[in-house]
Amino acid sequence: MDKSVLSVYKLVKAPIYSHCLSQDKSLLAITCENNCLIYRLGGRHPQLVATLENHDKTVTAVDISVHGRIVTCSQDRNAYVWEPLSDGSYRPTLVLLRINRAATCVSWAPNGYKFAVGSSARIIAVCYYEQENNWWVSKHIKKPIKSTVNCLSWHENGVLLASGGTDGFMRIFSGFIKGLDSKETMANSPWGSKFPFGSLIKEQYQGGAYIHDVQWRSNIEKVAYVAHDGTLDVLDYQGNLQSVNAPDGLPYRALLWINDHEILCAGYNCHPVMFSEASQGWKFARDYDKIAAANVLEKTATGSSTSSSQFGSTQDEDNDENPTFGISALRKFKELDLKGKVSLEQKESAHENAIVSLIPYAESNGQITQVSSCGLDGKVVLYNI
Amino acid sequence: MSDWRRIDIDAFDPDCRLTANDLIPPYERQVTLQELQPKMEQLRTLSSGGDTRGAVQLITQDPPYSADDTTKNQYFQVVLETLSQVRQADIINIVKELNTEQQIVLVKYLYKGMSLPEGQKQGGILLAWFEKLTQSSGVTPIVHYLSDRRTV
Repeated sequence: MDKSVLSVYKLVKAPIYSHCLSQDKSLLAITCENNCLIYRLGGRHPQLVATLENHDKTVTAVDISVHGRIVTCSQDRNAYVWEPLSDGSYRPTLVLLRINRAATCVSWAPNGYKFAVGSSARIIAVCYYEQENNWWVSKHIKKPIKSTVNCLSWHENGVLLASGGTDGFMRIFSGFIKGLDSKETMANSPWGSKFPFGSLIKEQYQGGAYIHDVQWRSNIEKVAYVAHDGTLDVLDYQGNLQSVNAPDGLPYRALLWINDHEILCAGYNCHPVMFSEASQGWKFARDYDKIAAANVLEKTATGSSTSSSQFGSTQDEDNDENPTFGISALRKFKELDLKGKVSLEQKESAHENAIVSLIPYAESNGQITQVSSCGLDGKVVLYNI
Repeated sequence: MSDWRRIDIDAFDPDCRLTANDLIPPYERQVTLQELQPKMEQLRTLSSGGDTRGAVQLITQDPPYSADDTTKNQYFQVVLETLSQVRQADIINIVKELNTEQQIVLVKYLYKGMSLPEGQKQGGILLAWFEKLTQSSGVTPIVHYLSDRRTV
């Protein structure tokens, strides 16, 4: 295991689609099938303290507000807000989203008084609590969304809402709620002058690849997103877009701003990758917890004579660039064939399947120092950055 | 109701139909065959003059994404001719001189070729290109191709 890996928690035997931490980082919430599991961190291994089980289809996303309220959304088209009680249990309140397809993602606004839910019904539902009715109300943003919404991110001002989806558009909407948000917060925003609810502030399209994750960096008014074509894109309010390709080509599912000039990405390559901003734009900086290339090469050198002839023996420098390309699977099946089992001595990265979400775990001086990730392998991993 | 996944839940919801047009990226205007003729002529001149390197450079710049299918197919015939005139030994060097954007365009033409009967007759050549391309850039152009809705 790489030294950047702090701890690995194998929590469940199902994929974790989303996870989040409470404000003081003591509670960890993960999605697991139809439930949301709450763990207490601190000991050697996280301790399960609560199971939120009101949904009757797969829970797709979970988020904790600054006040400790948990919101979950699910493929059963509902969202629940879970109010923490003094005895450690949670009281659920159903939120009627009024959508006819699965809810896919959820995000609390920074102030904790409203949240947004993305869905496959081409709708973003912005929900807030109405005191007089004792009820969570949802308002819809419909146009011009053409397909499933995959990801959402609130600006620190709580009004601008960035979204990305399977129609290939990254869009910025206004999530301004009368009586909840004040116009003063938006007075000097470089993104525009008027922000009525649901108005489209900006949209960005490149080729139509699914957008998997989007995140604001509010203080420098930039928004970054990762798409299924394996790119990381950073957009500023003047419309300048910078795009960088994943060094190994595989797409990213999640991203996290580490500071104003560094972004951590992770996805189908199963380990986090850092990108940094230089004078010529964004570029790849370094890998974390990557399987050592030398290790793989050594493995492939023994007993893969057919593969080297297949890939051409003259291109030594190409082999160096892509040591794992297509060979690991071949070797695996060969071993299965010859020995009847796969040798376990090979070094693995901490995550054995795609990483789908990244969240900050520890910060100092405006810089994130530790990151938590969850993956389709049912693990939560903490990394030192 | 075991096959509930096959139920068309959009049948009675006119607002919720995804049409083929929704999948096409928003183009400002369509490129016509007439506009492409000079480029096709230029390609023929380059490849018959032996400048295959220049021809491949030209193919992979500014492909006619917005054209309709017939135009794209006619244009592709010229592209296929050009690609098949390149000597096997030259392929790797030509591929290495392309930037990432150009490699993505090239891989789109390779996949299109493999999907058409005309291209399948030249299958060996297309596969040779494909092999050299993956050797020099790994899966990056393929991942781009799979997710890109701008087709050639």
